[in-house]
This record gives sequence, C-alpha cells and structure tokens, in this order.
Amino acid sequence: MAVWKVVVLIDLALALGIGGGYLWWGRQVARLDRELAEARTAATGPRDFHGEGVVRAVLPELGVVVITHDQIAGYMPAMTMGFRATSPKVYDAVETGDAVRFTLSGVPPNLAITAIEKLGRR
Amino acid sequence: MTELGLVARFVHLSASILVVGSAAMLVLAGRSDRATALAWQSRVEALTRALVWLALAFGVVVLGHQAATLESRGAAAIEAPALARVALETRFGHVWLVRHGLLLLLGAFVAFRFDLRRAVDWRAARGQSVLLAALALAALAAGGHSAAVEPSAAVAIAADVGHLLAAGVWAGALPALVVLLRAASRDAGADARPYAVVAARRFSRAALALVLVLLTSGVVIAAAQVGSVGALLGTHYGRLLMVKLALVLVALTAATLARRRVLPALGGDAATIGRPSMRRLGRTVLVEAVCALAILAVVTLLGVAPPGRHETPDWPLSFRLALGALADAPDAWPLVLVGSQIAILGVVAVLCSLVLRAAQLPLLAGGGVLLLAGVAMAVPPFATDAYPTTYQRPAVPYQAASIAAGAALYARDCATCHGSSGGGDGPAARALSPPPPDLRAHHTALHTAGDLYWWITHGRRAMPAFGHLEPEQRWSLVNYLRALGAAEAARRLGAVVESARPSIVAPDFAFAVGPTAPRALRDYRGARIVLVVVYTLPASRPRLAELAARYETLSPLGVEIIAVPADGAPDAIKRLGAESRIFFPVVTDGAPEIVRTYGLFMPGAHAEFLIDRQGYLRALEAAPRGTDRLLANVQTLNEERVVVAPPSEHVH
Repeated sequence: MAVWKVVVLIDLALALGIGGGYLWWGRQVARLDRELAEARTAATGPRDFHGEGVVRAVLPELGVVVITHDQIAGYMPAMTMGFRATSPKVYDAVETGDAVRFTLSGVPPNLAITAIEKLGRR
Repeated sequence: MTELGLVARFVHLSASILVVGSAAMLVLAGRSDRATALAWQSRVEALTRALVWLALAFGVVVLGHQAATLESRGAAAIEAPALARVALETRFGHVWLVRHGLLLLLGAFVAFRFDLRRAVDWRAARGQSVLLAALALAALAAGGHSAAVEPSAAVAIAADVGHLLAAGVWAGALPALVVLLRAASRDAGADARPYAVVAARRFSRAALALVLVLLTSGVVIAAAQVGSVGALLGTHYGRLLMVKLALVLVALTAATLARRRVLPALGGDAATIGRPSMRRLGRTVLVEAVCALAILAVVTLLGVAPPGRHETPDWPLSFRLALGALADAPDAWPLVLVGSQIAILGVVAVLCSLVLRAAQLPLLAGGGVLLLAGVAMAVPPFATDAYPTTYQRPAVPYQAASIAAGAALYARDCATCHGSSGGGDGPAARALSPPPPDLRAHHTALHTAGDLYWWITHGRRAMPAFGHLEPEQRWSLVNYLRALGAAEAARRLGAVVESARPSIVAPDFAFAVGPTAPRALRDYRGARIVLVVVYTLPASRPRLAELAARYETLSPLGVEIIAVPADGAPDAIKRLGAESRIFFPVVTDGAPEIVRTYGLFMPGAHAEFLIDRQGYLRALEAAPRGTDRLLANVQTLNEERVVVAPPSEHVH
C-alpha cells in the first residue's frame, strides 16, 4: 500500500476518534440535562417548604404577610415578598420586625403559610 | 517539587520539542538524492525515533511524580490505582493521556521504514510526523497555567499553543540543522553543501516568522501570568521570566549574526563554496541550540512555579518609575523633554545603522551613547521611592468593616499628629519637623497602598514605626487613608449624576436583614443601581415613606434601596413601625461600620448615596425632597454606556 494512503487512513481514524468522542460527550451532557429536568418536574404533588426571614408587614386586609427571607430550598432564592396564610391566626401571631421561621405548603406556585414561629432574635 | 520531577519534566519537554523540530527540519530541507543528505535524513529519523521513546518514558516518570505529589507519598508513583486516579480524574491526567496517545501513535508510525521514493509518499510521511508531534506538543497548553486564566482562558490557550509550536519548530530544529551543517562542512560531505545551504536559508526565513510568533504570544502569556512590573521584578516567576528573556536575547543575537553575516557568505559555486563559512554557521547554530536548551530548563521551572500574578511581589529596588512623580517636581520638565528628544535621536541612529550599509559601527555606537544619555536625563525625574511592599496587594479588601477598624486605630494612634480628619493639624503636629503631611491630598493617592503599609510598619522621617500592630490592622489603616482620599475627591460630586468618567469607588460593605444570610454591596455589581440611605428616626420617616411609595417604580428601573439606620439599632425594622410599608432592605447587621465609612463621604443624620452598576459612587445628597431628581439620575445611569471596568476588590 502506498504510504500516503496509510497516512490518510491514520488521519481519518484520528478524526473519527476525536469526532466520535466529542459527540459522545455531547450526548452525555444532553442526557444529564434531561435527567435533571425530569427530576425537577417529578415533584408535582403538595409539598412543604421551610424558610427563615424577617416580617416586613402584616396586612390581613390584603391577606398577606410580607417577609424578607433567605433562599427557600427547592423553591425560590432570597427576596422580599408577600405570602398568603391559610389561617387568620398567622396574622395575629407576628408583627413587623419579627424574625421568623415559617412553613409553606401546597402545590407550587400555590403555596400558603401553614405555620410560623418567632425566632426570638430581633 | 523535587529535583527528580523537575528533571523528568525538563527531559520530557525537551524531547517533545525536539521531535517537532526534527520532523519539521526534514520537511524544510526537502528531498535529495545526495548520499550525505540521505545519510543525514536517516540520522535525523533515528534521532526522532529515540526522542519519541525518550519523551514517552519520561512522560511516565512525570505522571508517577505527579501521583506522588498529589497523594504526598512516594510509593504512589509506582502504584497502579494511584496512577489511574491521576490519569483519569485530573485535568493534568486527561491532557497526559491525549498527549501520550498521540506520542505512541507517532512512535509506531516512525518505527516503520517506509519506502519514500515517490514524492507524494515522502510528503505524506514527513507531514504526518510533523502533524502528530505538533498535536502532542500543542495539547500541553490545555493543561498548563494558561488553562486556568480567568476570564478568557481560550485566548491564553491559543497564545500558549502558538508559543509552544513556534518554539518547537524553531528550537527543536536547531540540533538537526547543526548535524547537517557539520556533515556538509566535512570533505566527504561536499556533495550535500548546496542542499545544506538551501536548508539553512529556508530555516532562517521560517525562523524570522517563528520568532515574531514567539514574541507576540510571549507578550500575551506574560500579560496574563505576570500582569505588572511589580510582579515581573518582585516574584520568583517574574525573575525566572527575566532570565528566560536574557537567554532569548543571546539566542536572537546569534541568529541575527548568522542571518546577516554568515548566510550571505554561503552563496557561490556549489563545489567550492564556503566550507569555513559553513563551519562558522554550524557553530552559531550550536550556540543557539545550547541557549534553547537552557531556555527549556527555565521554562520547566516556570511551568511549576506559581504565576507571578498570584504571588505577593517583593520589590527588589529602592525606587520605581511613576508618571505621578513628575507632578511633585515641575522644574524637571525641561530635563525630561530634552532627554527624551536625545533618546529618540539615538533610536533613529540605531535604526539607521541597521538599514544603511555604510558607517554601520559609528552610527550604532553613537546612537547607543545618545540613547543612554537621553534615558539618563529623562528617566530619573520619574523615579520615586519604593519599598519591598510597594506592589503588595492589601491583605484586607476595601470594605466598610476594615475602614471602620482603620478609623478607630487612626483615632487612637495617628490623630494626635495627623489631625482628627487627616489634615496634618493634630495637637502634637506643631512640634514636628518636617510637619505631618495632609493625608487627604491628592499627593497621598500617588503612593501605592504598599508604600503606605511600609511607612506605617517602619515609620518615616519624624513618624515612629507601628510594626507592633497586626498586619490586618496596618492594612485597615491603609484602607482608611484611601477612604479619606476618596472622601476628599467626592467633594466634587453633587446631587446630580455627571456623565464624567466615574472614579470614586463606593466602599464595599457586608450587611444582613434580620436573620437572613449576609449580603454585600458588591453582590449588586453588574445588576442593580444601589441607593444607600443613611437615616435617623423620626426625622427621616417622611423621606423613607416617600421612597417606599416609589419603590414599585424604582425597582423595575434597576434600583435597589438599602436603608441603614444611623444609630445602628439591631431592631431597626421593628422601630420603623407596623404602619409603614417599607419593603426594601433595612440593615440590621453591619450598620455601624457602614455609617462610619459613608460618614466620611457625607456626615449627617440623613444622607443618600447613589452607586452605579459598576460600584462607583456617582451622586450624594444630604436632605433630598421628592423623587424627581432620583428618577432623573437613574435614567442618566440607565442610558449610560458602560466604559469603566468594575473596581478591584483591593485598593492600589
């Protein structure tokens, strides 16, 4: 066989190897992405989420307690927002400036505070 | 890094480079049917074969050494599981596998003795050797320092690939060229002299381009890995780089001599030409090759040294050059102007000596003298005192906590002489000669943070040393002095955002709202405009209510408001009361430091500071009414084209 043909064969094999490896890697990444997305959508039933924060306003007339909270694992990053409460007792239990730990229950994004307790600090 | 590991890396790198160069030299020299040329070609082929196996063998040693270093026990170097861990689980290992796979392929390929009489076969086989060797060498870039450059690793890796390949072809080809020139300069080798002349000329032409690639990529790599004059002179990495540059200069001088003096003498009749010249050329190329080997040794050390950018530079000289130094000595201007003109004249003369054929030596010597004289006149006015710590980065970031700590130390240890606000007018100042300087003046900003640190540590003129303070405390004092200077500069800021280039860095601060995780001002960089509001109840209550009412408008415009109680009360939110609907962050943790620091910029019971998305202070106001001006400011900032990079975490 002519030497140049040998060289062409080697380079073809090299290119195929690199290309194949790149494609395989791409497929792996795509598979991991898919699995991650599936795992995220899997939890669709009612769930509980726990958060900590500080009460900024209690507005029973609007039906919300505004809380500046830390990241709520699995649900939302840290922010200030209003949460509904299932029981009117929640509005009486806390006042502006209270540091609280609270539990949200329901099917996201329809969540409501089901339990709230003062942390005792500030 | 033990000697064994260094030696293994050196041999491996040198062999990898020599393989590329030898293969490239065979391509450059071209085909020939002369006996001496053929003998040379098979010698170089044999050399290539040996070098590939050498590279592979020492590559294995390097892998073993890496395993032993990573697991910090010598036995790991010969344990299969440890080697597999390094090879399969580290970036170094992945690059190692790819490179040694390619080298193995190359070794197998050159082991065959192909029949290369047809031109197409010759080209294919020679080209393939170069290709495989070059790929194996270039892959080194993916595992070196360049792969760790932030944020543009791609540029750094590309520069590294260019540098490696150019070095491979240039330095690696030298030994093969020496062998050819020696063979051709013997009596028996006369038949290959025209071939050797052609080979040397082609190499010389290629080398010119390669050296340009080497210099360009070298500058890019040095900028990424060293980054500053301080790191170049002050760190181990930088000094190694200087040694390398000196060696490169020697090699380049030899190459220039060969190109300008020896190569032209090789022309002429084929049978009789330049045997002595050829021997001379062989000697110059040998000098280059030895330099190249020494450069590779330095490169090995550079490869394992932490890059200068990440080291603390220890400035070796008692002076440094700074443009600002001239502002202190206005009467030196004529000296600088005249000196620079003389130096330019010298450069022109040197350039002429390179271009002109006649009077080369006098022009060169005269130009050199003029250049030196001009530099000697023009440069000294730029010199300013420097200390070992001059280029050190502060160990403590420019943050409110550090500035507030520095302010407390200043009040305790410094204010008696320097004055409570840094004006040099403390009660003890009158007795001192020379008197303490005004620390708020622009003059202070001309000195590096490292200079101030040195003076605090070791004292200066009438000032005693404060080396007994902890290093963090001394850096905090430096941060406080920087904040004093910034506060002085902030006097030209008003309530309206000017479109001038922002320069006053808003000191970073950490804060928390209630029990939530701590945040920092710099978290908003690149995302939000921040209005820091220092407030006092009850006077500030209407203003806070006004801002709260506008918060829904401001928030979508990209503004975050951070309210800081001037009294630093931890129950600030509770004190705001139940009826006010203030939903922007109110600082309950970290307020005293913020108030202390931002009080330098604008003291008072109520003050508002507008900070742009890059982290620069743009406007400040003591008692704002209404939100029209704030909205106008925000609009100005939102329409502004971003031209200034965000400030560094540390002062300079």
